[in-house]
Amino acid sequence: MGTDAFEITVNFLKMVLIFLMMVQIVPLLVWVERRGSAFIQNRFGPNRVGPLGLTQLLADAVKFLTKEEFIPARGYPFLFYAAPVVAMIPAVLAFGAIPLSMPIAVEAFEMFGHQWGPYSFAFQSYEIGIGIVFVLGVSSLAAFSMLMAGYGSNNKFALYGALRASAQTISYELAMGLSIVGVILLFGTFNFLDIVNAQSGPMQFSLLGQQVTLGFLPNWGIFYQPLGAVILFAAMFAETNRLPFDLPEAESELVAGYHTEYAGFKFNMFFIGEYGHMLVASALMVTFYFGGYTLWPFLTPETAPKLVGGLAQWMGGFGFNVNTWTSVLSAFLLHGVFVLKLALFLWIFIWVRWTLPRFRYDQLMDLGWRKMLPWALFNTILTAVVILIMRNNWSA
Amino acid sequence: MPSAEAMLNIGLSHYLFLSAILFSMGLIAVLMRKNVIVMLMGIELMLNAVNLSFIAFASQNGNLNGHIMVFFVMTIAAAEAGVGLALAVAIYKKYHELNIRFFEHLRG
Amino acid sequence: MIWEAIGFYSLAIFLIYFAYKTISATNPVHSALYLVLTMMGLAAIFYNLGAHFIAGVQMIVYAGAVMVLFVMVLMLFDLKAEIRAFTRGMFSGLVKVMAAGVLAGLVIGSAKNSVVVVETGAPGQMQAGVDVSRQLGILLYTKYLYAFELLGVLLLVVAVGVVAVSRMKGGTHAQR
Repeated sequence: MGTDAFEITVNFLKMVLIFLMMVQIVPLLVWVERRGSAFIQNRFGPNRVGPLGLTQLLADAVKFLTKEEFIPARGYPFLFYAAPVVAMIPAVLAFGAIPLSMPIAVEAFEMFGHQWGPYSFAFQSYEIGIGIVFVLGVSSLAAFSMLMAGYGSNNKFALYGALRASAQTISYELAMGLSIVGVILLFGTFNFLDIVNAQSGPMQFSLLGQQVTLGFLPNWGIFYQPLGAVILFAAMFAETNRLPFDLPEAESELVAGYHTEYAGFKFNMFFIGEYGHMLVASALMVTFYFGGYTLWPFLTPETAPKLVGGLAQWMGGFGFNVNTWTSVLSAFLLHGVFVLKLALFLWIFIWVRWTLPRFRYDQLMDLGWRKMLPWALFNTILTAVVILIMRNNWSA
Repeated sequence: MPSAEAMLNIGLSHYLFLSAILFSMGLIAVLMRKNVIVMLMGIELMLNAVNLSFIAFASQNGNLNGHIMVFFVMTIAAAEAGVGLALAVAIYKKYHELNIRFFEHLRG
Repeated sequence: MIWEAIGFYSLAIFLIYFAYKTISATNPVHSALYLVLTMMGLAAIFYNLGAHFIAGVQMIVYAGAVMVLFVMVLMLFDLKAEIRAFTRGMFSGLVKVMAAGVLAGLVIGSAKNSVVVVETGAPGQMQAGVDVSRQLGILLYTKYLYAFELLGVLLLVVAVGVVAVSRMKGGTHAQR
């Protein structure tokens, strides 16, 4: 956590702020989803409450909070109450491990008559060396919330929905994990920060032992792993249980799947979990394949301090160190880049949801096990072989 | 009764004690429960306890061979769980109960 | 030191309580869910002991795959709480518990009195400054390569066997 009071306080606040940011983005996404679906289907969408219908969300929140608390009579109350809470945990924990911008370097300063040493704060809730393994491990717990909800409700539809949902989740997890192996092989690390740093320059790779630089393209993972990116993105749709893979809550067959018995804020927590998964999926896509928070050649950890130099000089006049201000401002600038990329992927999620029809259940399992898994395996082997051939120094 | 300092100074023996307790709990589950799947869970608990002692020894010796062994144990435990559950499904299909005493009727 | 002790003891109490609930809950689904919590606690202990990669694999393989399989199979059977969950007989039960305790005591006693510190320079010795996961991978693909390949063959055989057992048309399934 840190070595002194200042560092511990900042790290703690960082966790709370990122969690709140993530929860607050959900109502906004719901609004975008409803207005976006209306736009796609040539309707108006919610436009009565407030400007552009934005305060519809507040009205919804009030509705959620004032609904009746309901527990199925023959169910298991503890599991029934725990399931919505567990639904939020994987997404929140996984999102905390993804770097949202470059680390902020704070130089030594004096406050309250104390000398506070130089710090370096990562722009994420907590920095874990084995970031990718952590995210995979945590997001694999998502199946339990569905199983707990389905079993706790003691209802046939909920049970069927839960079994379908968890079967789908663990099937597509295989394809997801295997497509990420290609990224791990490519960058040779489990650490998100190292992966982003490797993508921050111009395209540079080793061709039969010779270093080749292509100055007009950024060094993004998508150029090396197009197949892996497609498989990961498709598997992420299944992980988030959204159309075209929303079998667990297929209304026409299963009432509402595993959350049939849920109402009010408990239902809303499932909702937050689903949108949180969407956020994690988009952040992973951005970090693995689209350069994370960097945008070469305009905004990288090297060029950003120069862009904000003048503003940092001006703000340095009010106190603190100019270098500290430069670091803070460039981190927030790069965070803006990350948020833009994230918003693009979130929009693709919404766009796909309102464009494609739902799969049948056997088609879903067939796609997962007989198409995506072999292709992901092929991608892993191809990546390994190509890396072995290309990075070997043949002339020596 | 060990001294307070020995209690507070977390070392190898603490992890071994914890591992032994978990192992005996898994053993009790295997010996005393009648449900096949709960017995399988007891076996998983025992394997996990052994993994804990492997990791504790590895961190004590600064050696990675223990980690490798845990890796292998995990793989074999996953395989064993798959086979055990398939057998449990076979029992359930016939008797609609998961009692261990039906296991001997699976011959032929 | 004191923080380390607090962390260890709270995790240990957590683990022992959930392991106890695993073996004592009469509803098999509940005991499977308690076992998941035990696995997660063990992952935390592995992380504390510096085995970060193993902790991650524990979460993915045990908590995320094996236990989901257990819970799914239990739910498929739609089992309720069992009336007679334990074997009969007070005396034999006591003997079983004592036997387990004696075995655990023997194991721990012999392990504690026979710890041999591996001499430095042996293969698999941890090097400072190098990523542990990287060292683990190198060790796995050099010294233990054949064991690793055999494990792959074992997994293939098990996968085929499980499909064969669960889809058996003759045998147990046909007699009904």
